[in-house]
Amino acid sequence: MKPLLQIESMTKLFGGVHALEEVSLDLHSGEVVGVIGHNGAGKSTLMKIVSGALRPDHGRIRIDGETVTLDSPIRAHQLGIEMIFQDLALLDNLNATENFFLGRELTRSFLGFRWNDAQRMQTIAKEAIHNINPHFHRFRTEVGLLSGGQRQSVAIARAVHLDTRVLIMDEPTAALGPEETEMVRQLVLRLKKRALGIFLIGHDLQDILRLSDRIVAMRGGRVVGTVEAARASEDDLLGMIISGKVPAAALPGPGAVTLDQEKD
Amino acid sequence: MKKKAKTLILSALAVATGAQALLAATVGVSWARFQEERWVTDEKALEERLEELGHRLLTADARGSSTRQAADIEGLLARGVDVLLVVGHDTQAVIPAVQRALDDGVPVIAYERQIKHPDVTYVGFDPVLVGRAQARALLEVQPDGNYVLIKGGQQDQYAHGTYQGQMDEIGPLVEDGTIDIIAEQWTTDWKPEVAQANMENIITAQGDRIDAVLCSNDGMASGVVAAMEQAGLVGLPLSGQDGDVAAVNRIARGSQTMTAWKDVRVLGRRAADLADAIAKGKDLASLPGATTFTDEELGIEQLAFPLDPTTITANNLELMIEAGWVTREQVCRGVPPGTAEICES
Amino acid sequence: MSWHDVLRTLDPRHKRLLALGASLVVIWVVFDLLSGGLFFSPRNFYNLAVQSSTVALLTVGMVLVIITRNIDLSVGSVLGLTGMVIAILQIEVFPAAAGWNWPLTLAIGLIAGTLIGLWQGFLVAYVGIPSFVVTLAGLLIFRGLTFEISQGQTFSPFQAGYRIFGGGQQGSLGEAASWIVGGVALVVLLGALARRLRSGEASLPFTLLGGLFASALTLFMIYQFNAYDRPRTDLGYGIPSPLLLLTLAATWIGLFVNRAPVGRHVYAVGQNLEAARLVGVPVRRVVLKVFALMGLLCAVGAVITTSRLNAGTTNLGTLLELNVIAAAVIGGASLDGGRGSILGGILGAFVIQSLDTGMVLIGVSSSLRQILIGFVLIGAVWVDRIAVRRS
Ligand SMILES: Nc1ncnc2c1ncn2[C@@H]1O[C@H](COP(=O)(O)OP(=O)(O)OP(=O)(O)O)[C@@H](O)[C@H]1O
Ligand SMILES: [Mg+2]
Repeated sequence: MKPLLQIESMTKLFGGVHALEEVSLDLHSGEVVGVIGHNGAGKSTLMKIVSGALRPDHGRIRIDGETVTLDSPIRAHQLGIEMIFQDLALLDNLNATENFFLGRELTRSFLGFRWNDAQRMQTIAKEAIHNINPHFHRFRTEVGLLSGGQRQSVAIARAVHLDTRVLIMDEPTAALGPEETEMVRQLVLRLKKRALGIFLIGHDLQDILRLSDRIVAMRGGRVVGTVEAARASEDDLLGMIISGKVPAAALPGPGAVTLDQEKD
Repeated sequence: MKKKAKTLILSALAVATGAQALLAATVGVSWARFQEERWVTDEKALEERLEELGHRLLTADARGSSTRQAADIEGLLARGVDVLLVVGHDTQAVIPAVQRALDDGVPVIAYERQIKHPDVTYVGFDPVLVGRAQARALLEVQPDGNYVLIKGGQQDQYAHGTYQGQMDEIGPLVEDGTIDIIAEQWTTDWKPEVAQANMENIITAQGDRIDAVLCSNDGMASGVVAAMEQAGLVGLPLSGQDGDVAAVNRIARGSQTMTAWKDVRVLGRRAADLADAIAKGKDLASLPGATTFTDEELGIEQLAFPLDPTTITANNLELMIEAGWVTREQVCRGVPPGTAEICES
Repeated sequence: MSWHDVLRTLDPRHKRLLALGASLVVIWVVFDLLSGGLFFSPRNFYNLAVQSSTVALLTVGMVLVIITRNIDLSVGSVLGLTGMVIAILQIEVFPAAAGWNWPLTLAIGLIAGTLIGLWQGFLVAYVGIPSFVVTLAGLLIFRGLTFEISQGQTFSPFQAGYRIFGGGQQGSLGEAASWIVGGVALVVLLGALARRLRSGEASLPFTLLGGLFASALTLFMIYQFNAYDRPRTDLGYGIPSPLLLLTLAATWIGLFVNRAPVGRHVYAVGQNLEAARLVGVPVRRVVLKVFALMGLLCAVGAVITTSRLNAGTTNLGTLLELNVIAAAVIGGASLDGGRGSILGGILGAFVIQSLDTGMVLIGVSSSLRQILIGFVLIGAVWVDRIAVRRS
């Protein structure tokens, strides 16, 4: 089966710093790929490129085998790639609905100008957020005044819609309490069943082991190796992160791109 | 030291190129704020006359900043000017810089705005004389009643001079009750739109009681006229100064009484002649038109060449046209027939 | 429910608007008492409206600029330059008698203003030069250009047709039209308030207080404008054109800010540029548009000012940026970005002008006027800070 998403030799420099160096990785639909690594390993940078928020220095991205140009977040959105950012990227002075549709407002044409279709946006946002968090009701409040969990609900609901094919979750549980963390876990499992491909970035190795199918470790902007979650232990992962030691059970190839696919 | 060396070189050059070069001087002028209608004309007159006399002109524009003016003056000295003309932005603050020039042996002429210093020669249309001319012209058509004063920028010494001249004339009449000053306002930076708003508000407060508006310049007079038009106050006596094209046109239309015209070409030429006299080593005090200005408070006596402005009214507009200051077409633009004699024909 | 409870239920933004409206009324009443009834005279109201309109118009643009976390120091110079372009073309270049003269020069002026705005917006948004620097440079460049093209001269008079924009004899609506315009404005205003109440955007106390204040003000102003008679007639002037232009522009721009995507984007860009970019807001285009609008508004301001003065002068609009920024800040715009209100800015402009006008009426000198307005600026922000800390 062809991978849903392929990342090929992605490289990104910030000034002189190699944030990413020749990173290759792939993702199938219905698969959860955990991405782990120290602070500054390059995880967020890689994912921002996939979500169209950053342009790489070189490298390629394919979707269903086709090379695509991801030059803006809107373009990524159109291709079904959504990202929940590490800091959520919510605008504190806008309310939940406004944040939900920010940058992709639904409009009606009137007198030759595009106006907000407030009614429709309201309905859709309400439904989507309730889907994620049935207890959410503060739709008029500026999100700056909401709790961490409520904010998270808005950010997740924005990223998970009918057309989402690839979901990137950058440390989604970092700011959450145990109850809300459990909610996110359940969500990941539910979405997986809907055949989404999910990148799950995190520091809680136990969590990653439990939720992921495969786990990719990064270090200093490079991929150390990929392991199958079912055959790896927490120590294996720590070894990869800390000393770059690849366990015996690792999948072949430099990144996660399997050898036979690299040939064609 | 430097000065001497320079004189030596000059004399050496003189031997080579003839007597004319010996007297060729570099004249520097430091403008306060060049961006007003008149200074362009000043510079042109100054430059033409100096060239005629075989001298060279260097200029610097302080753009309305005293600090920049001090730097400008030092710059001009560094470039080796022989005579320095200064239009002081702040005539008090500029004194240290002027002193430095004098210490360097460079004679300083205060141009248009008086700098109170015993060794500085002053040449200019005396703002006090301007103020007097304005008041006199208004008194001629409105010898008594309620006067409004629209004064210039409060930070500007020149505005105070004009005001002083105005008060010289009407002050006694105010004391004996012939004239009542019912409102007066300074005008930020002499701005016409500020004068307009102030005048509108004064009209609100005083209404039809206003008999004459003693306005300190033409730019502000345009604001005053616009305010009066709206309120239906037409033909009230109104003064100005500078001889702006628009003001001359208003005089022809009858909406402004007078402008105190400072033919700045006369001033430019006069200053150039003074610089020339200095370069030729003549004694300025013996030149015609020389007087002494005394400031008793400061105990200062200085040589001065005050110029009197010309009072322009509907009766002598011809004068400005003849001088080439304005064209007949500019004077008469939009003037309805039967309003001004000069525009008939 | 006591007054205290009512105030507490108000949205802070609404509270500020009501507070500004209330201060305005207090200022008016105080000056009316001090000036022996002059302030509430028809003539003064008419003048106040005209004098405030240009600053208020520019403040509308400045509020948006400030919301995007930028500043525009060049508005006075841009106004001066576009005014001078219009003056020179209309008076010196094109034939004085041609009927097409003033409409053409007007169009050129508006286009020139927009182009200047686009240029500055481009430098800020696409080249990444801080707006403070770009517009400080603009302040110098455009003032200098004004002088270069005019050589310091004053240009006057304009064509009669052009003078409809400046209020006064040619630029006033007359009594009947004023009542009609006022009626339409009231219907629109109350309709908008009612809709906000229904959709839950505005609370009942705000709707009642705001509606009452706005209707009373509208009716009172029109009554006053109509009571100010043209010289030697008993025909009222009616609404002055600058106020009409301000109202139309502010309504139109307000609609976009509240009802079109670009409005949300403006707030988003100023609140958190990076987050806005990440979720797909075209951040650079938003900033470009805001500066272009600012340039256009400067040109409209230039039309009003020159038409009113009936002259184009070199120092037209100098120091205007200070009043405009002050009005925006008094109206609640935060220099930290992300916050500000168009209506607040307009009220701020009226507050400043009311203070200035009132003090001239009672004969206060210009330096004292400056001092007081400076203190009002600090006071407004101070009160705001206290209110923010409380809530
Ligand atoms: N905008 C930027 N400008 C310069 N350097 C950057 C930028 N963004 C990231 N970097 C650098 O690139 C490297 C990778 O950063 P990145 O944020 O991708 O790490 P990460 O793996 O997500 O770390 P964390 O676990 O802390 O989120 C780091 O050295 C970081 O300092
Ligand atoms: Mg990260």
